Amino acid sequence: MKQFKLRQLAWCISLVGLSGAAFGQAVDDAALAAEAGDNWIHTNGNYAAHRFSTLEKINASNAGKLKVAWVATVGGKTDAQATPSVHNGVIYFPQDNKVFALDGKSGKILWKYEHKMPDDWGGYNVPFFTGKHRGVALYGDSVYFLSNDVKLHAIDMKTGKAKFVKDYAPDGFQYPKDFAKSKESNGYCITVGPMAVPGAIIVPLNATDTGGLPGYVLGADPANGNIKWKANMIPAKGEPGGDTWPEEAKAYGGAGPWIIGSYDPETKTYFTGTANAYEWNPKNRGGGKLDNVGAASIVAMNTESGKVNWRWTGVPGDPWDFDIPQTPILIKMNGKTTIVQPNKTGFTHYLDAATGKFLRADKFMDKLDWIKGYGEDGRPQGMIALPKEGGDPVTIFPGLLGGVNMYPNAYNPKTGLMYLASSESSMKYGFEEIKVISNVRHFGAYQEFTFGNEINRAMDVKSGKEAWRSDEGKPGYAGGMLTTAGGLTIWTTQGGTFKVADAKSGKLLYSQDLGVAAKAGPATYTAGGKQMIVQALGGTPGFGRDEAHKAEFGHMIVAYTVE
Amino acid sequence: MNFKAVLSSALMLGVFLLGAQANAQDVPEANPYSGDEAKIRSGKSDYRAICSLCHGGRADGAGERGTGASTPADLRKFNKGFRRYVDIVKNGVQKPGRDIKDMPAWGGVIDDETIYKIGAFLETLAIEGADWKEGKKN
Repeated sequence: MKQFKLRQLAWCISLVGLSGAAFGQAVDDAALAAEAGDNWIHTNGNYAAHRFSTLEKINASNAGKLKVAWVATVGGKTDAQATPSVHNGVIYFPQDNKVFALDGKSGKILWKYEHKMPDDWGGYNVPFFTGKHRGVALYGDSVYFLSNDVKLHAIDMKTGKAKFVKDYAPDGFQYPKDFAKSKESNGYCITVGPMAVPGAIIVPLNATDTGGLPGYVLGADPANGNIKWKANMIPAKGEPGGDTWPEEAKAYGGAGPWIIGSYDPETKTYFTGTANAYEWNPKNRGGGKLDNVGAASIVAMNTESGKVNWRWTGVPGDPWDFDIPQTPILIKMNGKTTIVQPNKTGFTHYLDAATGKFLRADKFMDKLDWIKGYGEDGRPQGMIALPKEGGDPVTIFPGLLGGVNMYPNAYNPKTGLMYLASSESSMKYGFEEIKVISNVRHFGAYQEFTFGNEINRAMDVKSGKEAWRSDEGKPGYAGGMLTTAGGLTIWTTQGGTFKVADAKSGKLLYSQDLGVAAKAGPATYTAGGKQMIVQALGGTPGFGRDEAHKAEFGHMIVAYTVE
Repeated sequence: MNFKAVLSSALMLGVFLLGAQANAQDVPEANPYSGDEAKIRSGKSDYRAICSLCHGGRADGAGERGTGASTPADLRKFNKGFRRYVDIVKNGVQKPGRDIKDMPAWGGVIDDETIYKIGAFLETLAIEGADWKEGKKN
């Protein structure tokens, strides 16, 4: 206990005391609460997840003169999905279970931290997830990183050395194991990044597609990673919504949070979207007739106690893999903090952040037929009939690779527009028997995709109407959206074209074909007195064998500036 | 390395190669379930439940989990022959530069019967260039 207190004291001293070092001052609570400007601390830009920067040196008058400032590579072996975090001109970027610090001015690698994965790492879907990360958290003088195998690493910002590595397996969150090496391949596989809030590192835990173990959010002690609180996404017996599952289905019900959420400092509340209910074939969890609250939901929890304030379910009984893990964006509307979340359903959902009360749903897809719409009660109306197990599949718009997926969106308070990385896509969807292999329950469903175009949209959050769009003419999603006080909206298409548009009109101001797929959002920061825009690229364009882009796998980080 | 160690290694290698040969010989040259309607129906269900996530519902390689460092094979064009098909399913696919197999080894967890049934179903999807018999030598 004494040792624990001393360690906490040392951490607090490091939080407030670091100054003047090569890597600059520590990230304190005020820095966490600040809007993105010279620094880009949070993966989503700020607590409210706006991906908006107050920087305006690069603006509509000079965006046409953008030049590549530097190009770097971290040698990625799979998709680059992280938006870089930046503090005092140093970029922190996770890839392939490593973390890199790069000089924001030159792109030079300052240090590399490498985590060795366990020898028995593997299992169902695990190759697909391995090496992908969506961000890091910065707090005190540490970079907090979640490796795929459920470990929280606190890395010294200056040296790149681990201060601690917290393994959550002893707390019941084991990683999935290779079929050949274990009879038990269920486990948590972490691709989401952590988020720093005052006094806690938010650690989302997802196992939805690696066996369906239930999702949790942890509040971890920044000093040592110990669990301060644990919030269950699936309600327990006796909690509101706890009776919307067969009790035995909860143990493999999924509902994992797999995208970084948002935070309201006034109410000390963390908001996250959650994955689908598991298995996709809903026969073990009510056949689509029970709501399965907590899955395909938005969940609000107190960041001091972990108490869940409310859960709102966007796709009750989710039979379509329309999980809604997308970041709930927080926007003040009519004096109230409002959750605005565009998602896979093809709708943007609006909720009262205080209560979770449904306010409205705006359709943003061109074609949508899985339901007729949302009723005033916030429930889907007129849903298409489900396929029969082993029978013919049904075709629906959007498919599970349509609407808004994992690629982040942005909101500009100056234009009142939200920028969506969206895609038109449909699917044939059928149910099959649920196989259990290596003790892992498989999905029990399959899809045949028809891919539509990547369409990046600007939506007016007040009216719900589309202000402008950029139809990229090929399948996919943009890597993610960024918007600035300089009146710009910035994205890179999945085919790898970097684009800068006027945030209000959508007029294209600059574009450059980089030739490498983008699956991460851009960020902006200041280094050497200049505003820089950084974009991580990496992966294969499109989905699976979608050959429209005719591009091979690549990986690089590129930064732009104006002279 | 001394003589005993060399001899021991050579013997172990010999045993391993014999074992591998025995395994390969255990697999028939052609799929015994080819054209068997009942096996094909069952294989279709197994394919959809186990394989389609990466290789796609149409077996064209366009599955949701098909993105990343490598692209899953378009199984409609599979041209390596039945024995190689069984070998790939059982032992997985390792691409250079990654610590994890892009396709896991299913050998210990799916039985031969299931692998053969899935193969019989995939044969029915074959398009021009596919070869499920002898397969291309490379």
